[in-house]
Amino acid sequence: MRSWSRRLAVFSVLLLVASACSAPGGEEEETTTTTAAPATTTTAAAPGDTTATTEAPPELACDEPIRVGLLQPLTGGLAASGGDAKDGFELYWTNHPELVDAGCLEYRVEDTGGSPDTALQKVDELVQNYGADIIVGELLANVTLALADRLKDNPDVIFMSPIGSADDLTQRTPYANFTRAGGWTSSQTSHVLGQWAYDQGYRTAATMCTDYAFGWEMCGGFTQVFTEAGGTIGGDEQLWNPLGSTDLGTYVTQLSGFAPDVVFALQVGASVSDFFQNWSDFGLKGEIPLIGGEVLMDVSNIRNVPVEQVEGLISSGHWAEGLELPATQEFVDIFDGATGRLPSYYAAATWTASQYIEEAISAMGGDISDKAATLTAMKSLQLDTPFGPSVLDDYGNPIYNIYIRQVEVREDGRVWNVVIDTYENIDQFWPKSADEYLAQPVYSRDFQGNAGG
Amino acid sequence: MRLPDLSITSWVKIGLGAVALVLAIAAPYMFSSFIIGLFSLALIAGLFSQSIDLLAGYSGLVTLGHAGVSATAAYGVGYMASKAGAGYPAQLLVGFGVGMLASLIFGLMAMRSDGVYFIMVTLAQGMIVWGLSIRLFNITGAENGLTGIARPPAIDAYWKYYYFTLAVVVVCWMALGVVVKSPFGISLKGLRESETRMRMLGYNTTAQKLYVFMVSGFFATVSGILVVYLNEFISPSAVLLAASAIGVLEAILGGVGTLVGPMIGAFVIVFVQNVVSIYVDRWPTLMGLIFVVVVLFARRGIVGAVSDLWWNRIIKTPVEAGEPFQPAAVAFAGEAAVPLEQPPTPPSGGQER
Repeated sequence: MRSWSRRLAVFSVLLLVASACSAPGGEEEETTTTTAAPATTTTAAAPGDTTATTEAPPELACDEPIRVGLLQPLTGGLAASGGDAKDGFELYWTNHPELVDAGCLEYRVEDTGGSPDTALQKVDELVQNYGADIIVGELLANVTLALADRLKDNPDVIFMSPIGSADDLTQRTPYANFTRAGGWTSSQTSHVLGQWAYDQGYRTAATMCTDYAFGWEMCGGFTQVFTEAGGTIGGDEQLWNPLGSTDLGTYVTQLSGFAPDVVFALQVGASVSDFFQNWSDFGLKGEIPLIGGEVLMDVSNIRNVPVEQVEGLISSGHWAEGLELPATQEFVDIFDGATGRLPSYYAAATWTASQYIEEAISAMGGDISDKAATLTAMKSLQLDTPFGPSVLDDYGNPIYNIYIRQVEVREDGRVWNVVIDTYENIDQFWPKSADEYLAQPVYSRDFQGNAGG
Repeated sequence: MRLPDLSITSWVKIGLGAVALVLAIAAPYMFSSFIIGLFSLALIAGLFSQSIDLLAGYSGLVTLGHAGVSATAAYGVGYMASKAGAGYPAQLLVGFGVGMLASLIFGLMAMRSDGVYFIMVTLAQGMIVWGLSIRLFNITGAENGLTGIARPPAIDAYWKYYYFTLAVVVVCWMALGVVVKSPFGISLKGLRESETRMRMLGYNTTAQKLYVFMVSGFFATVSGILVVYLNEFISPSAVLLAASAIGVLEAILGGVGTLVGPMIGAFVIVFVQNVVSIYVDRWPTLMGLIFVVVVLFARRGIVGAVSDLWWNRIIKTPVEAGEPFQPAAVAFAGEAAVPLEQPPTPPSGGQER
């Protein structure tokens, strides 16, 4: 009997303790709402009833500001890239302050730490508490997909992803309230490079990409167009190194063993500098032509690499900081002046997304409460962006000029990418039609679209 | 129960628990959906950390790969929901099935090792799952993860899902309480203190380890399934080493060898990560400071510190002599005293900055 009552006591204590644990959160929350209040009361919005306030402004646009939330990884391994994205976004609004000054627009930047869990919580906070009308999304493909999926049923929010480039976001699984204004799909830029390589007279190629979705899509874009144009890539001459590996020597020596006309490579993060180091240590620079996927030679990567290892290398991209267009150079000057760095595509992307937001707001006469109409307006814009002229296709992905870029040393000793060739008005399906392209699966290790098998 | 002033202590526990239970049930009426979402996340993280603590704190088997188990279950659900388009019974069945299968396999792999070697084996297991999640594109969607998972309509609303999570976590907590108080649970403490002695006494310690791994794996599986329906998304970042390590850290922060400790640790970490980070840019520094302070001044975690306070300062019963090497006793004594003292501290500290 005693043991039963003891057990019962333990049960009830545990039950109570179980619930006790949510109390911390409870009291914590209480205090945070009080601190949250000042942040939101700057716009006279009561925290909690956001739906009422966002739907409010029918005639006078600035009764209530349009709220934009930016989610980027500002801590963790991607903090540098996420910081670039944040700077590009904020610099746009400090240099185009009209809407902000008039109280018609405000924004908030939130740190995701690169984690989908955190990003999902933060996006709930932005949408539900802050009352965001537009969310500008993340850097990582998986976080972007998680956010797009979370926001897909919310007709009161537009989700823009200027960086996250997973192909299917605007291809096989498009979302109604999603647009990639200012962004790109991974394979969009490497398609062009496949054609360009063939046009240079290269007939055999080997590839080396990071073994994950982004690498598969970058490599797949190159492989498909290059082989369908008539080039050859042996099935076993496509190397895949694990994400995050920092000793690529064995892969690089294999590449030289294949003796191809040209090597296509894509690396990310810590592997980039190791790749360039090995490529030059094994004497392959100048020996085998190396062409890179956009990110490999993005200025955020090559600025950390010895100049002699990257000078003269060629890549394709929708972004070229050396592009001689007024919109581009104005942005480069502003960003360089403010941060002391040449802008990476991350910065250009959020800047351009902001430009799209501002233009869409003005096209809607300041009232974007009808999100579907706002998206339609955004899709009909023709803008001169730092990327060059930009329009959106029916899927919400930009049609850009894609540039063949070469790494050049500037007069001040820094490296950047200048344009040596331009392919105009390239959409995400080029050179195929949308229907033809969408009939094939998304690029993966198993499907590279290699015409030679 | 040998303590003379049981009545005071247990009345305090019951009082605290009752207040907390009322708060937990009233929470959706008081707080925004964002905060309730965080409550759900923290409850699930706490359950996951408890499952780790059953291994690490109670049995002395520190694991760094437990996210492999919970994520396998989550992927099971995710695959059935988004790729196979199956109904909820099939999703749950497959989720539990693969989760328990993973615990069985991992347990078989790890049951003959201990100490550092156990850490290494479990670390490798976690990395294997991570590697598979990033490579098996057709099953896991690789880096892109799996979308298109939806909660059952009956518990779709955020507050319904919160109550559901609360109920499941409380039931699991009670079950864990039964496990650690059972003869099997007591024998785990023997395993922690000295495996050779247990073997001398006639226990099959290898089998014991497999059992406890399976039991722990069951609760990790539950947490994995809860979190995949909460986020409606699963991707390889759920299997990163960091995901496993954070579960261990939560247990250490709250107090290892207790069940309430991991839950408190989970709430602290979840709220620092998601709420404090809104106001403090350098929230990882803040989190680091919290860890440093806990390690320096509260060796046995928040629960240990509060229970010391309770016994030495308030009850004035000098029990500290036996405590440092008796986490089990601490668990017993400190279990409910904690929530009262603990909750106000992290929030007020965090928000003033």
